[in-house]
Amino acid sequence: MSLPSGKTYFHVDMDAFFVSVEELFDPGLKGKAVVVGGQRDERGVVSAASYEARKFGVHSAMPLRTAAKLCPQAIFVNGHPDRYRECSKRIYEVLCRFSPLVEMASIDEAYLDMTGTERLYGPPLRAAHELHQTMKRETQMNCSIGIAGSRVVAKITSDQAKPNGVLWVVPGTEAAFLAPLDIRKMPGVGKVTEKKLHDLGIRTIGELAQQQDKYLHEQLGEWGLSLAAKARGEDAGGWYDTEIGEEDGPRSISHEHTFNQDIAEQGELEGMLLRLCEMVGRRLREHGLHARTLHLKLRYSDFRTITRAHSLPQPTQLDNEIYREVRALFRANWRSGHAVRLLGVGTANFDEPGGQIGLLDASTPHRWEKALNAADRLRDKFGDGSVRLGSGMRRVIREKTHEALPDAQGKKPFTTKDTKEHKGES
Amino acid sequence: MATSVSTAPDTKAGQGTAMEISVSKFDLLKELTATQGVVERKTTIPILSNFLFEAADGLLTITATDLDLSLRTSCQAKVKKEGACTIPARKLYDYVKLLPDGEISIKQMENHWVQIRSGRSNTKMVGMARANFPAVPGFPDSLGLKLPASVLKNLIAKTIFAISNEESRYTLNGALMVLKAESITMVATDGHRLAHIENTAQKFTGISGEMRTLIPRKAMAELSALLNTSDVENIDFAKDDAQLYFRIGPRVLTSRQLTGQFPNYEAVLPRDTNKSVSLRSEDLNGAILRVSQFADERSGAIRVKLEKGELRVSSSSTDSGESEDSIEIGYDGDPVTIGFNSHYLLDFLKVVNTGNVRLEFKDAQSAGQMRPEDSDDGTKYRYIVMPMRI
Repeated sequence: MSLPSGKTYFHVDMDAFFVSVEELFDPGLKGKAVVVGGQRDERGVVSAASYEARKFGVHSAMPLRTAAKLCPQAIFVNGHPDRYRECSKRIYEVLCRFSPLVEMASIDEAYLDMTGTERLYGPPLRAAHELHQTMKRETQMNCSIGIAGSRVVAKITSDQAKPNGVLWVVPGTEAAFLAPLDIRKMPGVGKVTEKKLHDLGIRTIGELAQQQDKYLHEQLGEWGLSLAAKARGEDAGGWYDTEIGEEDGPRSISHEHTFNQDIAEQGELEGMLLRLCEMVGRRLREHGLHARTLHLKLRYSDFRTITRAHSLPQPTQLDNEIYREVRALFRANWRSGHAVRLLGVGTANFDEPGGQIGLLDASTPHRWEKALNAADRLRDKFGDGSVRLGSGMRRVIREKTHEALPDAQGKKPFTTKDTKEHKGES
Repeated sequence: MATSVSTAPDTKAGQGTAMEISVSKFDLLKELTATQGVVERKTTIPILSNFLFEAADGLLTITATDLDLSLRTSCQAKVKKEGACTIPARKLYDYVKLLPDGEISIKQMENHWVQIRSGRSNTKMVGMARANFPAVPGFPDSLGLKLPASVLKNLIAKTIFAISNEESRYTLNGALMVLKAESITMVATDGHRLAHIENTAQKFTGISGEMRTLIPRKAMAELSALLNTSDVENIDFAKDDAQLYFRIGPRVLTSRQLTGQFPNYEAVLPRDTNKSVSLRSEDLNGAILRVSQFADERSGAIRVKLEKGELRVSSSSTDSGESEDSIEIGYDGDPVTIGFNSHYLLDFLKVVNTGNVRLEFKDAQSAGQMRPEDSDDGTKYRYIVMPMRI
């Protein structure tokens, strides 16, 4: 087992973040079974559950009504995204005092490159302890910190440290630490990959690490190789391909699809557009980005290709808003009846979310935001096809492009509540 | 058309003669100017960047269209030979502007060439076949309705700026005109703010119940321009299933109708504002203009703060700095701070001009209302703006 030596990474993960934030606003919730996401009789899913509620089997992405049955005494509260963003900002500020290289992986977790900070903060465990206490003092919230020589191990470690703990995997002991853990503990392994690995007889990270690269490549493609590398404790694949601070986020996010057979029917083409908008929207939300400029790419059977762009007065990350604009571009530019070979939807020009409140649909964007975030979590859990907007049903596509597959899974470290909260309870 | 000509007639276009007219520069330029706005600049259909000239019965009729919007106008001319031709619109307009005052002769040549002569100037331009020019419907003979020109002009000016530019929200790409027997109302919104003006000093015969018409932005703009250069008291208005027709003196503006449902604006008119203040619109306009120089450029966000005896407007941006203005007011209610897009407020103040405006607010999340205090001309004007989260 070879590891990039000499590096020290922290993975800082807030404990039951949404619940903790709610407790700040209502200290009466402390120590109780709390479910964030909506009221007990509402449709909708659990965004987060306190550790007390988890004891009763409540976990995120579970329908609220199910949670109410499992844990009738739980207190149900609505989510407050603004509060979470605000707290996330404060968390980030605390982290930045400990390292210049901080990468928020989501609203409530971050990677810190602590290499070379020994003179300032002492050995890793002492620095982590200091960070842990500072975080508690300044945000009144608990976090768990994983320390390791790679980010992937640090992340797995912080999960093992939960709740409210600090854990250091001393260099050289990674293999022994990882080997007995369930493969689901590995970032990037969701339900789908788990099943594939189970089918191959692989149940623990140690078993995965023992496989030949060639075999995993045959079975799982490129993704298999990065999985194997991760199982050996190396940062690889998707999120882990770039160093902390190396990339200041994507400049553009796009998805395109080449049809197996050229399509000339408007409904089918627009169905595909919607599907692509959903995929783009999901990635925008993962990265916490709002796009101001939207692109349509359209290639006809004869390979004539046009791209058209439109800039919005208010940046967006919502599938339906993206689709509304992209469809307008499509309808204005598609030569009706001409067969299309490829469609693409892109977003760029990322900006802060616009603060303008709508007059006709004041609460609609907010509701969409909630609905789409819930849908994202369901997709994390049950696969990409589990939830989609109506018109998109017309074009059901399997992820198969080289770009899309690692992305769909490699996103796990970004997402957060779901991956993390889910792990917390298991 | 009985006149025979020696040149070969354009048989394809089915016209018997080559047009030949003489018209005064003053008359021609006036009509060309009125028509410019309709000519499509960026069109992919070449014929649409041409005027259609038709000469008959001592009249030159000029038509421009972008397919959605058409304008037909006419002026006196000495018609030597009746006929029709098309001429590149922009080029002709620019050229005629430069000609000295006097008579201009326009003569159709072979292969769609047109000769323009005036004094010692002589120019030839090439148009396109007349037959390619799209058919433009005329004003329907029946069912015309008279609308008072000055009232309509005011209604357009007070609402047009609130129409959405977002093409994807096509039902917001126009203003709604609601005609009742005793009132005319115009409403426009872009989803963030809404301008609503009602005039109850009018009588409209022949209307039972209400007549709702969605007028596209470009038609509103053209109508406004035509009203500004005309002194007619009333205009004729008519519509059928597909088109809207406005006759302003000798000019007829035709617009394709916007289909779709205008939003239920009545539901969003605020009814529960509880903080109200009146101040001079010039004062507020000046304060916002100054402060908005230091607002975030993209969002134009400013803060409006009501406190005892004072209204404060402030802004800050990382690029340019920060700024605050305050105005003394008679206010004794609860303090409130609300974020607004400064452009939205300025748009309203610009069309209100002078006098006092009343601001009515509830809180930082709810619609605010602005309206002029004194309206003695039978109009009620209100402007609804949603806040920004800042």
